[in-house]
Amino acid sequence: MKGLARSLGLATAAAMALTQASVGFTRDEGYYFTAAQSYEAWLRLLLSSPLQAIAQTEKYWSYNFEHPGLTKLLFALSHLIFTTWTHALPDALAWRLPAFAFAGLLSYWLCLLGASRSREAAILAPLLFWCAEGTFFHGHLACFDIPICALWAGVGVAWIQAIESKTRGPKLWFGFIYGVSLAVKHNAWFLPPVLLVHALFLPQRRKALLTLPYILLSPLVLFAAWPLLWHDPVRHLQAWVAFHLHHVHYAWWYFGQVLRAPPFPIWYPLVVDALVLPLPLVVLLAAAGIALLIGFFRKRLSPQRLLELALAGAALLPFLLTTTPIFGGIKHWLGFVALLCPEAAALLVSIAPSKRLLVAVSAAVLLPGVWQIAHVHPYGTSAYGELAGDIPGAAQLGMQRQYWSNNVTAVLPWLNEHCPPASRVFFHEVNFESYRTYVAMGLLRGDIRYAQSPEQSDYAALQWHREFRDYEPETWNAYGTQRPATGLYLDGVPQVVVYARPGKPGAP
Amino acid sequence: MKRLAFWALLACGAGSLLFDLTLSSRLPREGDWAELAGVLRAETGLGDAAQIWPAWAEESRLYIDSMPVLAEEDLVNADYPGVVRLWAVSLPRYGNPEKALRERGATPANEPRRFGALQLQAWNLHAPEIAALTDTNLLHEVDYVARRCQQLRIGSTLTLRGPALAMLHVRAGVIGERAYDAGKPPIIVNVFAGGAPLAALQVPRTERDGTGWRRLDVPVPAGDPLREFSFAVESHDGARPFCLQAWTSK
Repeated sequence: MKGLARSLGLATAAAMALTQASVGFTRDEGYYFTAAQSYEAWLRLLLSSPLQAIAQTEKYWSYNFEHPGLTKLLFALSHLIFTTWTHALPDALAWRLPAFAFAGLLSYWLCLLGASRSREAAILAPLLFWCAEGTFFHGHLACFDIPICALWAGVGVAWIQAIESKTRGPKLWFGFIYGVSLAVKHNAWFLPPVLLVHALFLPQRRKALLTLPYILLSPLVLFAAWPLLWHDPVRHLQAWVAFHLHHVHYAWWYFGQVLRAPPFPIWYPLVVDALVLPLPLVVLLAAAGIALLIGFFRKRLSPQRLLELALAGAALLPFLLTTTPIFGGIKHWLGFVALLCPEAAALLVSIAPSKRLLVAVSAAVLLPGVWQIAHVHPYGTSAYGELAGDIPGAAQLGMQRQYWSNNVTAVLPWLNEHCPPASRVFFHEVNFESYRTYVAMGLLRGDIRYAQSPEQSDYAALQWHREFRDYEPETWNAYGTQRPATGLYLDGVPQVVVYARPGKPGAP
Repeated sequence: MKRLAFWALLACGAGSLLFDLTLSSRLPREGDWAELAGVLRAETGLGDAAQIWPAWAEESRLYIDSMPVLAEEDLVNADYPGVVRLWAVSLPRYGNPEKALRERGATPANEPRRFGALQLQAWNLHAPEIAALTDTNLLHEVDYVARRCQQLRIGSTLTLRGPALAMLHVRAGVIGERAYDAGKPPIIVNVFAGGAPLAALQVPRTERDGTGWRRLDVPVPAGDPLREFSFAVESHDGARPFCLQAWTSK
């Protein structure tokens, strides 16, 4: 079954690589690209002057101190090998390559979790996860959401193998893989309590409790993968924790109201999942969650199914507390969706009267997601499912239109074609780091300048956000027109609206 | 039970796919917009404005070039100062503006016309004649709607001379997201007509979307038909961008 898992993992990574070119650079990616550049400079110093590099970790690693180093180190390493040294790949693809590997790992581990039920469930589990634009989109980004989601599943698989094994190898692997998750994102802080509770519910409780201490290996991995900790580690660890304990709340539009501060609606993450994902998948995931809960209360869950329930719940729980920052759509609790997929796959297999009809019902469940990807990709943050009424329905409900500014790729060709030399463009939510990468990647002409406000610009590419509605009248006032030149309208719903000063090429 | 679940899931999947595949048939095509804009161009008159409905149908701005495009979100209570005839440009599948427009006393000026998924109908607002007091050239967003209001510094007084028609209408709010800043004191607008205190409008911090554009409607005392109106804006916190609109009506 591992061969099948490997094949699905490779297919997933390949699918991401083949469909990434059109995916815009999200705000966060801009920061991580910059971090990766700094870390790559450190890697080169490490190769030429190791002692100097070890002495200067703070200089190179202080940027983006709020996230551990591993994924960004991998982005940097990938860029060093595939772009700086070999010139084999363009910058962004090289940075994103490790993210595709994590997407592949997620498929691999979901397949293994599904395989404990049946071969069909092994195939369906990763397919169910990826056949939705809301998840598929995130698989492309040089960010941490899919990596931590993959490790959420990976730690689960490693834990199950460790507690079932009599040898030390799987236990050491479990300690290592938990360390990797810790070195990817702070979500991993929640895993030890989940595993402890899981251990307490198991018949082989003692064995599990004796496996848990292997988690103490994890700080070594964190320390090794995050050179920022090599000097003054306590201060840096404090800064890491403090950043997330006091994280800012970004505005988020939800049923016609902009949510700005706690308390947030308790069912917010479940409702957003239900509206963003394709309806048949929502139904199936809900059934999987209910099946696991019923199994739990009837004490009929195997250790693995119990763990899947615990991990899914733990991925979701912080966002039910009503105080955790809720921005970012479904990306922060992707582990919830992922860990329900093996059970959902098993349910799908169990209700099909025959193999032929399993293909039919699987197609019925997966095709709306395939359509969503074909229809919306690469504008993944704008995707909504049938329960919302697709994108126009979500606009009608007053739901967040998009986030992260990556949809601007839709209007870059127009700007390249129409902007006179040295034009100033107000890119709104596109940060300078992402703008710089668009230029470096050849997606935006190098002479087009980054303007700080509509007043200082010749063109404005406004991203439609409820909380930024003031920019549009500001642009009208500055340009003396209310008529856009072009824009990205998904199913008629404005996402990016481009204005041109009257008289400029492309102006209406 | 399993058989039922199988067929239910199959139906759910097929229905979802059908919904997705037919989505474009429920939405306007470029030709529909162009045709509608052409009709508006041919029939536009003084005091006309287009109201899109639902408010997210702002794709219309790409096409409608003969009159202002308004995206008011509360059709019953929107002011539409100076608008005589309102062209409702709507996507009926996503909401028909008729009920709200009738509720505010508007009457249809013609029969609704269809352009694919779009509907166009003109409405007489029967609004009284108005005289604008504040600057109407610039627009600012207050409570997520673009308003023709004049930005004022808190702590300043705006004095304007204009026709003293029967009623004075004052609207005010904080521009952008600063309206929601927690813990901020209210802003008070003291209104004077001909030097005499007339009324005061309180603009508290906006707690719920849709309540940030505050209203004051007050009869103008009899006297000189051309009068000086003053608006003194006060608050303990003066750092917020504030916007005020004022007009008188018969």
